[in-house]
Amino acid sequence: MKDILFTVAYNKPLFDRVHEIRLESSEDLPDMHCGQFLHLEVKDVPTVLRRPFCLYKFDRRSVTIIVANVGKGSARVCAMRAGETARAIVPIGNGFRLEEKHKKVALIGGGVGCAPLAALGACYPGREFRSYIGFAKKSAVCFESDFAAFSKTTVCTDDGSYGYHGYPTDAFAGDDFTPDVILTCGSMPLVKAVARLSAATGIPAYMSGESHMGCGVGACLVCVCALKNEKGEIEHKRACVDGPVFDLKDLVL
Amino acid sequence: MNLSVNIAGVPFKNPVIAASGTFGFGREYAEFYDINLLGGFCTKGVTKEPRLGNSGLRIADTPMGMLNCVGLQNPGVDAFLAREVPYLESLDTVVIVNIAGRTEADYCEVAEKVSATKLPMVELNISCPNVKAGGIAFGILPQSVEAITRAVKQHCAKPLIVKLSPNVASIADNARAAEQGGADAISLINTLTGMAVDWRRRKPILGNVTGGLSGPAIKPIALRMVYEAYKAVKIPLIGLGGIMNADDALEFMVAGATAIQIGTANIFDPNAGIALVNELTTVMKECKIERIGELIGTLS
Repeated sequence: MKDILFTVAYNKPLFDRVHEIRLESSEDLPDMHCGQFLHLEVKDVPTVLRRPFCLYKFDRRSVTIIVANVGKGSARVCAMRAGETARAIVPIGNGFRLEEKHKKVALIGGGVGCAPLAALGACYPGREFRSYIGFAKKSAVCFESDFAAFSKTTVCTDDGSYGYHGYPTDAFAGDDFTPDVILTCGSMPLVKAVARLSAATGIPAYMSGESHMGCGVGACLVCVCALKNEKGEIEHKRACVDGPVFDLKDLVL
Repeated sequence: MNLSVNIAGVPFKNPVIAASGTFGFGREYAEFYDINLLGGFCTKGVTKEPRLGNSGLRIADTPMGMLNCVGLQNPGVDAFLAREVPYLESLDTVVIVNIAGRTEADYCEVAEKVSATKLPMVELNISCPNVKAGGIAFGILPQSVEAITRAVKQHCAKPLIVKLSPNVASIADNARAAEQGGADAISLINTLTGMAVDWRRRKPILGNVTGGLSGPAIKPIALRMVYEAYKAVKIPLIGLGGIMNADDALEFMVAGATAIQIGTANIFDPNAGIALVNELTTVMKECKIERIGELIGTLS
């Protein structure tokens, strides 16, 4: 983890209230991994808290994030212009870690929650990926080309206006693909559907969670998630540094 | 130039101390800078038993501040001694162990166990507003402040700092009560009890409904309380509440604080502690102040 000064290279709206923002650094960035995130300073608003955003794409000198405008902090981030600077702690969290035995991988994402899954192909070349990504409607579909570049991809829409009509978990269930592991990120109903799928099929599943965050470095304990340990007891684990990726069988949903 | 200060016989390299609850057990920030360059830091509050803390949302953004209701999540004193103390004892900065409890006996037991370590100071949390059955009762009335201070002092072999709650009728009365109970120093203020509401959902935002407000929003209140406490007691004060930069820190020192703590600043900026030490050095040079201690309580 390092606190780094970034400059906005571009900020482009993807669709209504969702932006893709590329942040560049003049120094080499620490090693990053898919599923990790950064904690971004929000300037010129009366807030003292940073905002966490998952890494969508990254390389030695830049990070691209997807920002949904859902509140005062994210609204300000969505309004950032090319050339503006802000500090961010990067990288944070465990990220998606595939084991050697995970040869076949299903990615199940929903909405902007698909973003952290999109870098899996680059992090793990040589694995067989299939992606099931869901959106509310055709005009909200994004990241399709990212996933199609490294996986057979099924795009789903809730209203049937594009691709498969229904939930990504339904598209997965109707497919003939038996993965070694499922990775998911998206809304709570989607995550719960994946948890049910995992329990029913016995295929392990890992999810990347979202949490309101304080320090982002593991000190303040405001971002905790409830997990069951081996004895069945509840533990509060920090989403920032113990997560954000957790085994779905441990997570109390 | 001399940034050192002394609190109850304990020398600090400089007056910058990281506040309890915002600095974990130090390790997290050691990844960003050499934490030995701080005057000191207060550990996360340690209780007799492990605590899970509150469930539900624990943080809310507020104008120039934040509300939190962590609820003293910590591994308990025995795990603290086994897992954290060896690391903390290896540090070259003043590690202050913040302790909390549900009963007087709990506080005393934790104080006794911590006394067996090489760590130099203890801070008594009698003011955490987050745990329903927890410390708040001890911190409200002057007589209970005095009683808990006196009880813990008898079991504590280290200099004892009593951390006062601002959610009281008279901060001066409570400061005097802590002094009479035998406190070696006072830190103030802990967070102000506050609330955030999502009116569209007709729900409180925090899982605990109420939480502790911190950050620059509370600085004027903290400054006033430090000033009032300074006039009321002779023991040294450690000021905290919304300090973000050297000017803020020096305002507290001029108002009567011997040292200061930064809390929310750490949450905003992981390098806040070292940045403040460096900025204090720069400001002292600019203002030709030879010894930072000469500023304490100089408000005319």
